[in-house]
Amino acid sequence: MSPHRRVVVTSPQTRLAHARRRSRAAWRAPTLDPVEARQAQRVYRAQRAPALMALGALGVLLFGLPVLLDLLPAWDNVRLLGIPLSWIAIVAVPFPAMVAISHWQLRRAERAEEPE
Amino acid sequence: MIALFAVTPVVLLTLLVGLRGVAAVRTTSDFLVASRRVSPLLNSAAVSGEYLSAASFLGVAGLVVKDGMGALWYPVGFTAGYVAMLVLVAAPMRRSGAVTVPDFAEARLASTPLRKLAAVTVLVIAGLYLVPQFRTAGLVLSVVSDGPYWVGVVIAAVVVSVTLAVGGMRAATYVQAFQFCFKLVLFIVPAIWLLLQVGPQVRHDAVHPVEFTHFTRDTPVDFGLEVTLLLDDPLTVTTADGTPLPIRAGEYRVAEGTTLVFPAGAPVPGVRGGAAPGGPDWQRPLLDPHDAGHPVLGTWAVLIATMLGTMGLPHVLMRFHTSPDGRSARRTAAITVGLLSVFYLFPGIYGTLAKVLVPQLYLSGATDTAVVALPSQVDAGSTGTVFTALLTAGAFAAFLATSLGLLLVVAGAISHDLVPGGLARLRFTVVAAAAVVVLLALPSARLDAGVLVTWGFTVAAATFCPLLVLGIWWSRLTAAGAIAGVAAGLAGTAGAIALTLFGPPVSGLAAILIAQPAPWAVPLAFATMVGVSLLGRPPAWSQAAMLRLHLRERRDTGPAWGRDPGHSSPVTRRSSATRRVIRRLGR
Repeated sequence: MSPHRRVVVTSPQTRLAHARRRSRAAWRAPTLDPVEARQAQRVYRAQRAPALMALGALGVLLFGLPVLLDLLPAWDNVRLLGIPLSWIAIVAVPFPAMVAISHWQLRRAERAEEPE
Repeated sequence: MIALFAVTPVVLLTLLVGLRGVAAVRTTSDFLVASRRVSPLLNSAAVSGEYLSAASFLGVAGLVVKDGMGALWYPVGFTAGYVAMLVLVAAPMRRSGAVTVPDFAEARLASTPLRKLAAVTVLVIAGLYLVPQFRTAGLVLSVVSDGPYWVGVVIAAVVVSVTLAVGGMRAATYVQAFQFCFKLVLFIVPAIWLLLQVGPQVRHDAVHPVEFTHFTRDTPVDFGLEVTLLLDDPLTVTTADGTPLPIRAGEYRVAEGTTLVFPAGAPVPGVRGGAAPGGPDWQRPLLDPHDAGHPVLGTWAVLIATMLGTMGLPHVLMRFHTSPDGRSARRTAAITVGLLSVFYLFPGIYGTLAKVLVPQLYLSGATDTAVVALPSQVDAGSTGTVFTALLTAGAFAAFLATSLGLLLVVAGAISHDLVPGGLARLRFTVVAAAAVVVLLALPSARLDAGVLVTWGFTVAAATFCPLLVLGIWWSRLTAAGAIAGVAAGLAGTAGAIALTLFGPPVSGLAAILIAQPAPWAVPLAFATMVGVSLLGRPPAWSQAAMLRLHLRERRDTGPAWGRDPGHSSPVTRRSSATRRVIRRLGR
């Protein structure tokens, strides 16, 4: 028998209760302490601005690039290392840009949550 | 034989890794959300492993062969969904304390009808997503092993349901995280090998595509499904047993299960509903389905459906609930963007190589198998066989990981939200749901996997995406508004799907908007939700219910909370009995 063997430590009643159908607890209206409510309001406002900026950047990137490629069919014939530039544009531009946006947004969102 | 070598290790490893997670599954929370103890890195690997389904592993490269370079917008949309998730949904949704999406809806809006409606929506999305997974598993196995279609479907169902029924989400987490690494290696290594092996001529042809108009060599084509070919001139082909078969000009119906060998130099026949790969439209990096003449709108429609749909996929959302707190849920989303970005650099390589080496697949409609068909074209010897086996193993891992997550949300929706029951019921539901999906998948071999999965995304985008975004960021949302919006989104997308399946053929702008309903269905759902909510009055607690989602959790441990570890309720709100117990036991 290995030394790290796991053993059941719940009582038989607990296991029975877990296995039985449970009526879910009645829903209770959420409440916030005044202090918490003020803090939550502050965090909510602080999160909104970077969220909108990140979404805006993502929207411009994703919806602007197809328009650009549609307007510039000449890019199909420009070649970089033999590969058409328009093919490179749909792989090499969006993915690094999205990684950068999410990194930036993550840092902004975490800083907004720090207590004052 | 290849299939046996490829699939057996995946199945065994899946079961082995799954069994490692079996310990200590005793409550519904253990089963559905792995006791919420999954670290961001492990969780993001599991999210990516679950998300990279057959559609990503095989489907994108197949779509490149079929529709052209514009198909590379699909992975962009798939990844962008996680950026939107990170910005809008991840942390607040985890803080709601919910276990499933219907749970979240009830926690935020206190409405049982909404919970039931959300559970039904989960079943619709999961059904649209799960059937093609099982179907592709069956197809790929039947292609590489010449076995019957149903064997692959049944193997997939048995492995998935046993792993889940025994180990639940914890087993699924380890399996999916492991399978992400597995898939990443099995996708990247063969891609590099193929690029090095094909020789300069093929590499040159891959980036200078010419339209596939004539067969360059004697080409056998397996028609797994019935196909109607359109010939301009009479043509003599050879059947599998070597007898010549003259075909007259005009339409020719190829029966299911035949193999025809087209001679070198023969013109490529047309296929109803498809254009030959390699033409000028094929090379444009935009999506223009049905040649409707609106490439920008077609591309936007796919981007909206995949990006907003990802945000509402119930099995992905469920994975975020396994994070210990909101911050780790957010970090999970951020890491996932990076992991997916690495993986999605490679489908384009497979797609362009497949266009050069196996363009005939578009004749039989089997472009989904392009990735696994490539190695044998490059190396007819044992090395090619090994790489075929590796890619088949990766593809099978892709079905398994995705099916695990989907089956879990189906079980959660049925026996946690619709008819609440205990753990035994959950385990049983997993097996029963797998059986139902097998029955649905057996007659669906003809359906296009990509289309079904895109519909799943569209339904999610038009129902759960507005529900989550407005629920988290708009305190005036009411239960009536949410129900009306989800119902409108569901009805709109279901109507469009029904029109595509049974309606008259349409062309132009209407064709795009019916085949890809996301550009109008998502705004419709948002507008209905906002409009109906503004007609009613939100309850007094709705501001608190929303703000609570943005409040950072208290740390359970740490010096500031040294006296009563492990208690989440604030000191002022405890009963006298609790305070007495803490005084006596708390250190």
